[in-house]
Amino acid sequence: MRFVRVHDEVQEYEVFARKTRLEALRQVGAVVAPDDELAMAYARATYDEERWVEMMIVPKAAVIQLWAPGEAEA
Amino acid sequence: MGAGRGRSLSLYSLVKSLADNKQLLGMRYAEWCIAAPTLEADIAAAAMGLDDIGHSRVLYGSLRELGTPDVPDEPVSYANVPYLDRPWTDWTAFVAANGVLDSAFTLMIEALAGGNVEVLRSRLKKMLQEERYHAMHGRSWLRESRAASAVDQARRDAIVWIGPEDGDVDDLHGKGVLSLGVRELRRRLDEQVSGAPASTPIDWKAWDPVRRRIVPGGIDELTLNMLQGLAEKRYMPAGA
Repeated sequence: MRFVRVHDEVQEYEVFARKTRLEALRQVGAVVAPDDELAMAYARATYDEERWVEMMIVPKAAVIQLWAPGEAEA
Repeated sequence: MGAGRGRSLSLYSLVKSLADNKQLLGMRYAEWCIAAPTLEADIAAAAMGLDDIGHSRVLYGSLRELGTPDVPDEPVSYANVPYLDRPWTDWTAFVAANGVLDSAFTLMIEALAGGNVEVLRSRLKKMLQEERYHAMHGRSWLRESRAASAVDQARRDAIVWIGPEDGDVDDLHGKGVLSLGVRELRRRLDEQVSGAPASTPIDWKAWDPVRRRIVPGGIDELTLNMLQGLAEKRYMPAGA
């Protein structure tokens, strides 16, 4: 999906985090921003309520889907 | 004031001014938490406001370990930059404060955290981690916004706040209390605010070394009431 809002050009980023080193990273949400720096600032501001040991963001455009719900081979 | 541009001022005045500015900056950020151009920016304004008010509490809490005030502490005396005297009426004012003033305060925190005063070395490190995200937010919005005039004003206020060469900041740098002197602080600020228009030269004669500003005046009554929690009392039932 293409967003055009205040900024001319923005993209979606998925936000991943984990609370302990032992657990796997999980998706905790998403942010929309015009560049990586603002996306990082937004991710931290929006999802920092919990004590994560690690947080990272990934541009949604970089995610390669193998199959979607309902598309798995029987 | 006969302090030779503040050369003999104590660390107390510098940290008090930093705390005052942080508290006000936090409040000004918070004022925009339902008025920024995007929901994400609203949330960031609220988060940065909380950060800066938290930083001011740590800084105020450190004061009693930093000597005595250079002038008697009046009940109401804020040593803040003129930029924070009044609420901002435009988003570009927010962006310039975020990208320039916040960065200037962070540079001073970095200088204090890298200096030889143990209480500041240990307590200020966490602030620098949080400020990293303020800087990213400010930089990105500065790239997007046409904020040249607000940036110029914020930059000028920041330079005046850092103070003149051979003043208290350079004196504290010479003693190892600050790891950075005026020139280096200015240079790093310029580096972060690239493209800022050149300001007219600053006339330091009227610089007040305690309030760290040239322009007289200060916060308005509404701001003061907010800071002192008086504004909210109006919404409480009588006698509560």
